[in-house]
This record gives sequence, structure tokens and C-alpha cells, in this order.
Amino acid sequence: MRTTAPVIGDRVHPATVEEELDARRKEQFEDELIMDLERDQFVAETSQPVQPAPLSARAGAALWALRVFVILVGLMVIYTFIDQLH
Amino acid sequence: MHASEAIAAAPLVSPPLTAEDIARSLDRSRVHHARRQNKRWRLLWLLVGPGILAMLGENDGPSMIAYASDGAQYGLGFFVPFIPVLFAMAFVCQEMCMRVGAVTHRGYGELVLQRYGRAWGWFGASDLTLTNLVTLVAEFVSIRVGLAYFHLSSGVAVALGLALVVFTLSGGRYWRWERIVLGMALFNGLFLLAAILVKPDLGALGGSLDFTPFPGGSFNTLLLLLASTIGATVTPWMIFFQQSASADKGMTPSDVRHGRYDTAVGGVLAAMFGVGALIAGAALLAHNGSGIQGFAGAGFPEALKNVAGGAAGAVFALGLIEAGAVAILTISASTAYAAGECIGVSHSFNSSPRNAVVFYAANVGVALLAAVVILIPGAPLLSIALNANVLATVLLPASLVLMVMLANDRGLMGPWANRRSTNVIGIAVIAFVGVCGAAYGIDSFLLRIHLIG
Repeated sequence: MRTTAPVIGDRVHPATVEEELDARRKEQFEDELIMDLERDQFVAETSQPVQPAPLSARAGAALWALRVFVILVGLMVIYTFIDQLH
Repeated sequence: MHASEAIAAAPLVSPPLTAEDIARSLDRSRVHHARRQNKRWRLLWLLVGPGILAMLGENDGPSMIAYASDGAQYGLGFFVPFIPVLFAMAFVCQEMCMRVGAVTHRGYGELVLQRYGRAWGWFGASDLTLTNLVTLVAEFVSIRVGLAYFHLSSGVAVALGLALVVFTLSGGRYWRWERIVLGMALFNGLFLLAAILVKPDLGALGGSLDFTPFPGGSFNTLLLLLASTIGATVTPWMIFFQQSASADKGMTPSDVRHGRYDTAVGGVLAAMFGVGALIAGAALLAHNGSGIQGFAGAGFPEALKNVAGGAAGAVFALGLIEAGAVAILTISASTAYAAGECIGVSHSFNSSPRNAVVFYAANVGVALLAAVVILIPGAPLLSIALNANVLATVLLPASLVLMVMLANDRGLMGPWANRRSTNVIGIAVIAFVGVCGAAYGIDSFLLRIHLIG
């Protein structure tokens, strides 16, 4: 980023000075915003997926048991739902 | 220079900022300011929200009618202290959701999908959407019942519900959405007012604190009643909603303590207002209250008017409108969070509709679909509404198990993972709630095929 204003003749161009001030203000504003959020709160970070969980054999078996349970109860519930609609 | 020194010396690269980051950061700056200046009440004010909304959203139209029905059928007795016990159990579950959201900054749906596989993620989101749709039909009917007391039609109920959804979404900030819905949720206190207006027997109320008299009736009916009541303590949308809302609000580990206060206050308020509905219903016990028929206790406001005066009936009817309206907003939000998280697109109230199309479309779309159903002539609204709790029994045990796994996941939670004492109490509560919920679904099926009853 430019740190000194360009000189045109003997004068600094006002539009360029204004642009530079705007850029500094924007940078300062963003720095303040960054301080108010934790790094892993930024959308750029949360949009990155987390790694799959390393499951133990016991946890894997429990999830399979849960799948069987969900399928069985799901079938019962679907039957109940349709039957109650009639 | 060693590699570690080089890494330490390298300048930190700030991530690119989005409008969502900016909106969230502005909210967080107020929290930091209050914390630095040690303004405790302002800090509490800034950090409450997801817990109160989850708990008071659970006091929806069908739930308040169920409490009033229990009162009308069984009077002041077992259920008066039982309702607070239910919300204490709900606190255990919901505290974990809040903590996971505050520490990981991610919603329940996306964490389940990324940690435990797409099948679990999509199953959860799909079943939640279906269950929420059915529940939303019941909420619109609740609003319709309340408005019918004032001789207003179904069309007004639909228009009111949808207008509220669109209005609350128009702010473009999570903070604004949350504050509007919180303001509405406090009117759940109308049920407490209704309880005062019926002038309950305070002696009988005090005497019921020892869980007596116990409800009578057949054992199977009682078991079904308890299973359905306990199984409805925590519903899947509450799990999705509170974790996602805590992340959307921008909560961090330093806010966990206030998140617990928020959830506890929500539980206390919800228990008080639920007991209020029960006390109001109990006024009908001696007036054939158990005989009040029709969906969602359509007769309750009129019956209360006959027994306790027009004010009691009107307040109860207004309470039903509020209960239905707040539940529509929170349940629609939970659907939107689940949809956005599973598809992997922006899912925040801090994003504009243009940047979060799926989120906003799901939020409005599910409410619109439910509203259309109640306008269909001859639609089996009673059956649809009764099935809401049954559908939830499929998802509830799975949601609870996966939530406990997330809360124990040290890779995600670090030092904020469940402690042993939390697991002992939490797993016991969750197992109890999950088993009751499943038992309700299984019992309903066995009744349907005439294997029991």
C-alpha cells in the first residue's frame, strides 16, 4: 500500500489523498472487526468442513445399533401415521 | 531459525470478511464492551436468547393444550411438580447443545454430517423437516383456535403466521430476529395470567407438590400419557435450533456460563407458564373438562369463559395465538438451519436473502406449506397434529445420542467436552427421555395393530 501521497507539481492530488485515507479507515475497521471475532468464527473458517470423527469399534457398533433401531421404529411410525390419517 | 520460530514470526493472514462476519462482529463488540466495563446485567441481556427461545418455543400450542387437558382430566396433582421436572431434564439436554454451538461455532446438522457421515446428516435434516412440517400444521391450527374465540377465520390465522415469519426475517440481522421473537415469547406468560384468573384452590395447589394425587385410569393409558409427556420434553427441533442459534449469535466459550443462565431461565419460565396452563385447565375438572373434545382443545377458551369469566377465556385464547406464533418462528428457523447446514450453503440470519437463498427459502417455505395444508377443505388436521409427536419419536433418540457424542468429542470440544459428572447425569436423562419417546411411538403402533389395548 502507498504510504506517501503522490505529488503533482508542487501539490498533493486531493482525490488520491482521500482514497488513501479511505483505504486506511477500511483497514482499521477490518482490524477492529477481526479482534471482535474468534478466528474460527469467520465464515471462511466455518465453511471448511471438520474432519470425520475417528470412531472406536464400540462407537461404530453403537451407531449401527442406532441405525437398526431407527429403521424399525421408523417403519412402525410410518404405519401408524398412515393408519391414523385414515 | 527453527521452523517453529519462522512460523511464529510469520505475520498472521486475516481471513476475508463477509457481510455475515461484519454483522456478527458488531454484535460481539457490544458483548466485549459490556464485559470490559463489568456491566453484568447488560452482558446477560446481550447473551440471552437461544435458550429462552428453545424452551418457550417448546411451550407451543399443542403442548399448552396438552397441559390444560391434563389439568382438566386429572386436576391439580401429579403433573404440577412433574412439569418442572421435565424442564429440568430439558435443561440437561439443551445445555449441551448450547455448549457445542458456542465452542465449535457450527450448527448441529453440519457437525453431524461432517463428523458422523452424510447418511446421519441427511437423515436428521430430512426427518426434522417432515416432523417440523407436521408440527407447524398444528401450530397454525392453534392460532386458528385462538382467533376463532374472537370470531376470526382460518384465513386470518394463515395470514398472521406468514406475516410474522416474513416480518421477523426482514431485519437481516440475527440480533433483530432474536429480539422480536423473544418479545413475543414472553407473552407465553398469558397462561400464568389465565391461571390467576381462574382463582385456583391454593391449598390443593400446595398439596400437589408431593406428586399426589397420582393420575387414575388404566395402566396402559397412564403409561402412554407419561411416555408421550416425557418423550416430548425435548424435541428434535430444539436440539437443531439451540446449537445453530448459539453459533449464529456468535457465542464463544467465554459465554458458556451466560448460555447456561439463558437456558435455565428459559426452563424456569417455560415450567411456570406450563403449570399455569395446567391450573387453568384444572378449573374445568368439575365441569366435565375431560369431556372437552375437538382438536387442540378448541373448546377450552369457551369452556373457561363459562366457568371463570370472559377474561380467562380471552387470555387463554390469546395465549394459544402466541404459543402457535412463536413456535412457527422457531420451528421454521430450525428447518432453515438444518437445510442450509446439510446443503453446505450460508445459513445465518446475518446473511442477506440474496446470499442465503436456501436458508430464507426454507424458513418461509416450510411455514407456507403448513399454512396451505390448513386451508385445504377436509384436510385431516386432527390426525396430522396427533402424528407430530409420533414422528418425533423416530428422530429423537438418534438426535440425543449424536448430540451426546458431539458434546463428548474432545477433538471438537477440547476442554469444554462433557465431564464425567455431566455424562452420568446427562446420559441418564437422555436415555430416559429417548426410551420414553421411543416407547410412545412403539406403543402407538402396537395399539394400532391391536396387539395391546
